[in-house]
Amino acid sequence: MSRLWAVVALLCALTGSVWAQALPYERPVDRAPQEKSIGGGYKTPDVQKPLPRKGWLEITDVVLLAAAMGVSVWIVVKRRNRRWLMALSATSVAYFGFYREGCVCPIGSIQNVTVALTDGHYHIPMVVTATFFLPLLVAVFYGRAFCGGVCALGSLQELVLIRPVQVPKKLDRALGWLKYVYLLAAIGFAVLPLAQRDFVICRFDPFVSLFRRSGFAHMLALGAAFLVLGMFVGRPYCRYLCPYGGLLAWFSRLSSRGVSITPNKELDCGLCTDACPYGAIEKMRAVRANCLYCARCYEACPREGPLVQLRGQA
Amino acid sequence: MSKGFSRRQVVAVTGLGLTAGFLVKKAEGQVVWQIDSKSCVNSKLGEVGVKVCDLCVKECVVTQSAVRAVNEFSKCGRCCVCPAYFNVKSAVGKDGLPSEKLCPRDAILRKPIGEVDPNDPANNFYEYVIDEAKCDGCGKCVMACKEPAGLGSIVLRVRHDLCVNCNNCAISQACPKDAITQWPALKAVLGLSETA
Repeated sequence: MSRLWAVVALLCALTGSVWAQALPYERPVDRAPQEKSIGGGYKTPDVQKPLPRKGWLEITDVVLLAAAMGVSVWIVVKRRNRRWLMALSATSVAYFGFYREGCVCPIGSIQNVTVALTDGHYHIPMVVTATFFLPLLVAVFYGRAFCGGVCALGSLQELVLIRPVQVPKKLDRALGWLKYVYLLAAIGFAVLPLAQRDFVICRFDPFVSLFRRSGFAHMLALGAAFLVLGMFVGRPYCRYLCPYGGLLAWFSRLSSRGVSITPNKELDCGLCTDACPYGAIEKMRAVRANCLYCARCYEACPREGPLVQLRGQA
Repeated sequence: MSKGFSRRQVVAVTGLGLTAGFLVKKAEGQVVWQIDSKSCVNSKLGEVGVKVCDLCVKECVVTQSAVRAVNEFSKCGRCCVCPAYFNVKSAVGKDGLPSEKLCPRDAILRKPIGEVDPNDPANNFYEYVIDEAKCDGCGKCVMACKEPAGLGSIVLRVRHDLCVNCNNCAISQACPKDAITQWPALKAVLGLSETA
């Protein structure tokens, strides 16, 4: 019985929609009239097809990424100057963050690379591949130069950190494991078959909504929360959640150069240890895996400065 | 550097290089999100009487969505009473045309092609152009331009100049038919995957 009513309702609906069509059409309306049948010299307008971003602009992004890492290494290893690094951070936030709206970033590219390695049908763009490998390559020799003044997410947090507090060592270490859990989860969601695949790193990127100045309210709120927390706790996303930070930490263990604490003229005063908001200085030495290239230790050092230029030879 | 590279550094670089080399071999130039109009609920022929899917508006992270309704002019019937332009269920006005428009944002422009015979306006041709500044891709017109009255000339398309090319396109996550997927950009230019 209910089916009968459904049919009646459907018929009514159909009549309603066709009713206005009950105009005396003479021409066929079951196929599209073409230029000839319309006549009068009518030209079918072109359907607009906006092209994607220009290829050379994408390549520029990769070149700028490489250049920014070079500058980051140069500032930290040669100049040993925090103010220059702040300038680089601000530039990166402006370009990679607000201008490029947070994409492409090496953090998210973990997922693309994972899918490309496991799914033969997946299309990975060349730019994403380069974006993933370049910072790792730099990390093998110079540590986490990418984290310093290049990563838009890291630089943004670096710039808001105005009242750093020291996180207790044990808690810091325990929370530090989270990023590996997150890395495994991200890989796990990325290797799922296409229908269930999910790029969680990008979905829960707390800052991309800020960079885009649009997005879901809850993600904007999460970004704001991270920034407020980041005013006191140094770079909470980088240290405890960033899955790419986890990869960089592994590779930067191999590095032979990077931030070096007054190699031959130190005072053992420990001011650098207190100045490091990331707990990356242990026994007066920078721990490569945790050092985020912020150069705060140089700023705090009484032996650093324009008169005492100490070159890292550690 | 005087002391050269450590063995572990060499191993790491070789590993990274091999993986990168493998990926570079299969890498594409550029990849963009595209809507397959054969799968999209709104444009799929035969899907009539179902609810209009407006997830392209609701889910897209861009404020006005990067999706637009596009009229493929070569397939447009150029009807006098376009079911996508008019709300054909609204009352008929004095001019014999439905009194309401379908588009909630008034984004469709209707203009007659050539002279209109006042005694027989129905058999004149009308051009329907979508104003992309107003359209947000809600899909109402797409759903309306199908059987029984329409020819299915309006489809939803991702505008590559507006799309920020999210790695994790929010629309693709929500799309009930998995109609929005990533394709190499060359095909986007040629419209290979977008032919209805």
